[in-house]
Amino acid sequence: MPIVQVLTAGIGEADLRDIAVYRQRGGYKQFERALRELKPADVAQLCDASGLRGRGGAGFPTGKKWSFLPKNDSPRYLVCNCDEAEPGTFKDHMLLEETPHLVLEGMLLGAYGIGSHHAFIYIRGEFKRGYQIFMDALNQARQAGLVGKNLFGTGFDLEVTVHRGAGAYICGEETALLNSLEGKRGEPRLKPPFPAVAGLYGMPTVVNNVETLAYLVPILEKGAEWFASVGTERSKGYKIVSVSGHVQKPGNYEMALGTTVREIIEIAGGLRAGRKLMAVQPGGGSSACLFEEHLDLPYDYESVAKAGSMLGSGAFLVMDDTTDFVKAAYNLVRFFAHESCGQCTPCREGGHWLETVLERFVHGNGLRDDLDMLHKVSHQITGLNLCALGDSIEPFLASVLDRFPEQFQARVVRAPQDALAKDTVPA
Amino acid sequence: MPENSTVEQVTVTIDGVHVRVPKGTLLVEAAKQIQREIPVYCYHPKMGPAGLCRICLVEIEGMPKLQIACNTPATDGMIVHTESGKAAEGRRAVLELYLVNHPLDCPICDKGGECDLQDYAMAYGQGASRVADPKASKPKAVDLGPTIVLDEERCVVCQRCVRFDDIITGDRQLVLKDRGVRDIIATATGDPYHHNFTGNVTELCPVGALTSKTYRFKSRPWDLKRVQTSCTQCAVGCQQFVDTRVGAVQRTMSLEHDDAISDSWLCDRGRYNVGFYKDERRIVQPLYKQDGEFVQIGWDDAFALWAKAIREAQPGSVGAIGGGRLTNEEAYLLQDVFRKAGVRNLDWRAGRQRQASPGKNGGSLLALEQVDAIVEIGESPAERAPVMDLRIRKAVSRRGAKLIRVNSYESKPPSAIACTDVATIDDAIAALPPHAKRVALVWDGVDLALGKRALDAIPVGLETFAYITGEQGNARGAEAMGVHPAFGPGYASVPECGRDIDGMIADARSGKMRVLSIFGANPALHYPDGPAIAEALEKTPFVVVSELFMTQTAKAATLVLPAKGAYEKDGTTTNLAGDVLPVNAASGLEGAENALSDLEMLIGLAQALGVALPSSDELEAAVIGHLARAAESFAFGDAAFGTPRAPASDEPGLRVLVQSSIFAGGGTIAHDDRLAELEPLPEAAISVGDAKALGVEMGDYVDLHSGDRVMHDLLVEVRANVPRGTVVLIGGLPDDPANALGADAVATITNVRNALAAASGDLAGVGA
Repeated sequence: MPIVQVLTAGIGEADLRDIAVYRQRGGYKQFERALRELKPADVAQLCDASGLRGRGGAGFPTGKKWSFLPKNDSPRYLVCNCDEAEPGTFKDHMLLEETPHLVLEGMLLGAYGIGSHHAFIYIRGEFKRGYQIFMDALNQARQAGLVGKNLFGTGFDLEVTVHRGAGAYICGEETALLNSLEGKRGEPRLKPPFPAVAGLYGMPTVVNNVETLAYLVPILEKGAEWFASVGTERSKGYKIVSVSGHVQKPGNYEMALGTTVREIIEIAGGLRAGRKLMAVQPGGGSSACLFEEHLDLPYDYESVAKAGSMLGSGAFLVMDDTTDFVKAAYNLVRFFAHESCGQCTPCREGGHWLETVLERFVHGNGLRDDLDMLHKVSHQITGLNLCALGDSIEPFLASVLDRFPEQFQARVVRAPQDALAKDTVPA
Repeated sequence: MPENSTVEQVTVTIDGVHVRVPKGTLLVEAAKQIQREIPVYCYHPKMGPAGLCRICLVEIEGMPKLQIACNTPATDGMIVHTESGKAAEGRRAVLELYLVNHPLDCPICDKGGECDLQDYAMAYGQGASRVADPKASKPKAVDLGPTIVLDEERCVVCQRCVRFDDIITGDRQLVLKDRGVRDIIATATGDPYHHNFTGNVTELCPVGALTSKTYRFKSRPWDLKRVQTSCTQCAVGCQQFVDTRVGAVQRTMSLEHDDAISDSWLCDRGRYNVGFYKDERRIVQPLYKQDGEFVQIGWDDAFALWAKAIREAQPGSVGAIGGGRLTNEEAYLLQDVFRKAGVRNLDWRAGRQRQASPGKNGGSLLALEQVDAIVEIGESPAERAPVMDLRIRKAVSRRGAKLIRVNSYESKPPSAIACTDVATIDDAIAALPPHAKRVALVWDGVDLALGKRALDAIPVGLETFAYITGEQGNARGAEAMGVHPAFGPGYASVPECGRDIDGMIADARSGKMRVLSIFGANPALHYPDGPAIAEALEKTPFVVVSELFMTQTAKAATLVLPAKGAYEKDGTTTNLAGDVLPVNAASGLEGAENALSDLEMLIGLAQALGVALPSSDELEAAVIGHLARAAESFAFGDAAFGTPRAPASDEPGLRVLVQSSIFAGGGTIAHDDRLAELEPLPEAAISVGDAKALGVEMGDYVDLHSGDRVMHDLLVEVRANVPRGTVVLIGGLPDDPANALGADAVATITNVRNALAAASGDLAGVGA
């Protein structure tokens, strides 16, 4: 299947950051049409009919998420999640930097669709350039009368607030994001209540990913059927896949869902000459590995899940036979342990424990009992936490422990007494 | 919490037992009804679920994952297993992770023996550790503030302390800093952790991470002897446990289910100000002043001297003052003995407070949290009735009540709860929310005219609950027992009124008072007119003072009688809401064996005077009977309680207001060395406008002059919530008594010294 250009159209060809260029290419027409001709419910209906699912990682149907909002006139907020921090994901900040008006138009459509008069965008702290570009775009849009009061004379008011994060992975989790946006410590909230009932500042709130909202623009333009006609039965439409790792041309590629793993590797230039594929992590740092036998697996939510992993945010990491899976596992576990907010004990303590043990392995100081323990402890952390961060540790670690046990066994030390900094501590 | 029986009931099955609970009840609470303990660390009944500790996992049929019992409401037909293999494995897994880094220093941990981690590890843990690597090493004794020490290694990050500071006090000092395994508890600003309720976090802490400085390494819990009593440090009457060992109070603890009085919290005064019982400065023997020197005498001699002085004087030249620090029984006997001896000059009002019972409008402490608006008149209750103030904060922050303060002033910046400050009572009435049906009036009991105006101003049709915060713990009991010139017990009228405290002091100054007996009171420090009371004490030939310490008043006495403190006697006390609460002696206190309770002193005096005493049964019946007769006919500021003071003078200068501080006082606080760090500095708080006009700044040192009286070296505080034209002093500081300028003084600021210059030793100052 070929690469397509839907959201990525024009990137690299025209300066889409210039509102004049963006409008020349049809930009903001859908927002204007929605305000003039459609009711919010029509926009929501289009979104639902298109089968669009959240592109941030969970893949939850967007129309359904919107439908959880109370059916009344209470104030509500749309929040665009641009805290992209899943290891291996780099699509949102490309959209932010290259086509900021598309992101903004998607937000405006989303806000209109849920009947909100105030949209927020939470931009990861590290995206300073993207933030500046987006601010420029927002100012242009405001001057052009696309943001503010009484838009297009329809009486509809819509304000946009931009908030920069401070670089915490956990703030990509929607309730942690809301806390951070409110100026509180970025840590997930206890649910229920869910954001659709009590979200930002206690009001009903929808949090959608950048890519999700951006797809609203072509869906409005070309229709729900157009979007729903590609992809698979339940994974409809297009997706930007961030391919990285051991391929010749890593980068963001937009394609229909259902493209095979093999095709994606080929799209990204294939492996380096003479190298053998060992594993693919298909959905970011939180996902379990796929292997050689999955090369013909269609890249869609259901197929990847059936194969024991997840599509996640579309971060597609290719690993060839030069990969040290002990180091790779250590690197990811260290990341999650470091990014744990520390609220929940299993995630806080378990992640740190696994990191400590894997660090020993990296230095060739593994203990024989550790192999079993790594399996069991990573499993016992899973499912016990308030949010999904703690559950993100097990999938990759377990899949490489199972697949490449010899790499771990080779790091088990012969004389256990030398491995530890101190004697074992009895409990 | 269900508030009425109309709430729908559901039936949930927990471990095979059917439990019927109101809809919405959390599983963790439902399980308590069948005595099934679901372990928790972060959940607390007064703060609700947090969902962090993950130890309360239960299996619910039909749900694939284990669920947390603290945030799962019971629904009809739900089948819950707390002991199934899956639930047990979940708990084991979580407990194992708790112990990865938790130190195994139980043998030297204060919490050992009453630690939830220790207990749950025993009950649900796996016994052996799989952790091969060393535990994380962190600071073991972080000084969080004047009261609390934090052991970072022991902290299990349940955030109960953080949530207490957020949900319960609103002060929001404690926060969780950093993240992941580096999480630590700290104050947001890095300043010392210091407010009026810090000690509660040591009880909330499920492990030994937060400990009280006063109790660290003092005892093992199983060696403590525990007695339940009522705190008498203020008029709230919080129920508390007093834990003793080796003849001394080791600590006090709140009661988990004291919903009606303390809501399960204690203030730091009530919790920590218990070190004075063993202070070496306690008076241990009756002292009689001869040629200006105190000599020790026996009790028999003391009673004989006392009785002789009273017998030899005209009854009209004899007076008795005090009662607010006594039990109900003692207060009753006080007026009984003196009245039988013909003495009519009786008054419990040794300080600023004029009235204790709110009469027909009185409300319960529980009712206070159910109102739609709270109007505070006079001094804020934050320092006078701290735990009651928590209930006000609860009403405001969690139940949406509106807090309106009339010309209020506080010694510290107000906490984070929302309040509306207004200048007059009319403004307060105008600020009442339109939907208000129930209103609470909270008055400091000082200015009778102000109290009356406030109550009269409440629109007809609003249900009004009135509260008087007062000064001494049993002021309301003493008043109801008739230690009052115009009332007998039960507010019965007396044939002929005696002199009130102002009258007694006036008489004494003109040489007409022969004998003054002062019980558990320190008017030299707390009576509004300091110079007047000093002169009165000096000119009265025979002054008897029952005290624990050589207070300013005791020093001026002829006869000083060593008294027992509240933890050393039995009886009852009456709190500001009219609840009659038990006072029980703690177990085995040592150090004041030769002291007597005021009851015993009054019995001794009665016998020496030859006055008939009621039997103990008669006494008990009289107390209970008279307490039941509330002051139904009275209201705030009723004329029966005295003549309102004249309006403040309008001569130029700053009107002096006196503010309480829970850590100021000449008695129990001044004689508890462990709390020296908490004692406030003498300060003069003025408004921003006055500061600007007078050219003084925060941190300057000034003197205050009123006529020929002067107070030296006061630290200037500039605060937005001080009314223009006033200066607020902290009352009760023994070295800097706020009554030194006289009652209702108008003062001028002189001798302003810049803070920096003062610090560098240049006190030569510039004139204002």
